[in-house]
Amino acid sequence: MVRFENVGMRYGLGPEILRDISFTLDQGSFHLLTGPSGAGKTSLLKLIYLAERPCRGAISMFGREIATTPRDELPGLRRRIGVVFQEFRLLDHLTVFENVSLPRRVMGEMESQYRAEVEELLSWVGLGNRLNAKPATLSGGEKQRVAIARAVVAKPELLLADEPTGNVDPEIGGRIMRLFTELNKLGTCVMIATHDMRIMERVPASRIYRLAEGRLTVAKAHDFMAQAKRA
Amino acid sequence: MNPAGRTGLMPADSASGATLHTIVAVMSFLACLSLGFVLTLGRLASEWTDGLSGSVTVQLLPSAQISPEDQVKEALRLVKNWPGVFAARALSREDSQKMLEPWLGGGNVLTDLPVPQLIEVTLQPGPVELEGLARALADGVPGATLDDHKRWNAELASFATSSEAVGWAVLALIALATLAIVIFATQAGLQAHREIVEVVHMIGAKDVFIANEFQRHFMWLGVRGGIIGLVLAAVTLVGSSFLMNSREAPVGAQYLPQLVSSPLLYTWLLCVPVVMGLIAMWTARFTVLRVLGRMP
Repeated sequence: MVRFENVGMRYGLGPEILRDISFTLDQGSFHLLTGPSGAGKTSLLKLIYLAERPCRGAISMFGREIATTPRDELPGLRRRIGVVFQEFRLLDHLTVFENVSLPRRVMGEMESQYRAEVEELLSWVGLGNRLNAKPATLSGGEKQRVAIARAVVAKPELLLADEPTGNVDPEIGGRIMRLFTELNKLGTCVMIATHDMRIMERVPASRIYRLAEGRLTVAKAHDFMAQAKRA
Repeated sequence: MNPAGRTGLMPADSASGATLHTIVAVMSFLACLSLGFVLTLGRLASEWTDGLSGSVTVQLLPSAQISPEDQVKEALRLVKNWPGVFAARALSREDSQKMLEPWLGGGNVLTDLPVPQLIEVTLQPGPVELEGLARALADGVPGATLDDHKRWNAELASFATSSEAVGWAVLALIALATLAIVIFATQAGLQAHREIVEVVHMIGAKDVFIANEFQRHFMWLGVRGGIIGLVLAAVTLVGSSFLMNSREAPVGAQYLPQLVSSPLLYTWLLCVPVVMGLIAMWTARFTVLRVLGRMP
């Protein structure tokens, strides 16, 4: 589904912040991405959701080589990816309902086609009574749940989440992880960038990617957890 | 809200929107006044030239070869029988006196000055052989000359054409300035709402979708600003027309051209908000697509 080969990335003329990144994400797999702050986790996610271009290497998404894919075909690929941004990135002038339904609206669907689904999803994340609230009136945890609902509303094939449980209490965090696990069971490939060891223990990740100094190493989840506990 | 009843992706009350509203309203106001000026000039020029081209004047200078009475009689006979002439009338002494009074004042002007006798000739619509008439008058009536107002006509036409050209140039400059302002406002709007554009872009919106949202926002902004400018201009035009015709108007104001009087002018003025909306819409679309084209 996603294949990176010797990918490098830099912002402008600055130094390379990601070097020789190679990995593959298969359909229905679950991955965790960890590493110290500033290691490049968010930059790597940006490359995956096509918000940045690599300075070298090859990226393949859903069987398409990104370098040779015409620009007007990239929105079609982005629609197959759901993203939970670290800083939520909700549109302040839209209601909770409108924010969550944005991906469906962008796909050209009418409100009658998605209204029931969006309401159900919002009830599931505990925001069934906040449909018409504006983001400014929400707590950090509520904003995060809106961002998560927006990422999954279009049933993406690939779900990327950047610190998705950073602002929520353990109970809601557990719910969110269950949602991700359920989606994964339905065939969605999930990649979560996190520092949270509790998440690492709860989810069925087979592999854990660790970014340090711009380089990516891969470990089996079991080995990584054992090593982390010893440390 | 957009036509589908959904909230637009651009916030309706952005700061750049308020500024653009004001600027478009001012531009529309100026455009309406310029349009009124241009159309009034065009109408006046055609009224003047139409009025003059339907008539000619025969001047009879005193001549030793013929008595003044015979001179008038002979000239009237010749003119009235000329093909294409509808009517001819010799101006009376009182008519001439009245005509010259504003320039020379009252009194015994006509006895003190050798003022020519005038014959007012009204022509039928269509071509009339005026050069032949002039020759016939010169040959047949001593002291008679024909004034076909060609020189006056040409000067009026030239003045009207130049003034109209200036008016259109002012209108073009206003359109250009509006275009530049909308480009700046769109870019400022894009900058202010970069977050919105990026998020919508990242969740898979096509450039055309984002451009449509922006262009719809700016089109209504342009139309609303245009309507405000139009209303202000209409109040100004009607108000100035009312003042010029009122008793308090300064002496001579009634001779100035009346700006508001033609349905054509109203039709053109109603087009101003539409044109403003279209300028804002297309400029916004072009600018947004250009900026989006630089994103991955």
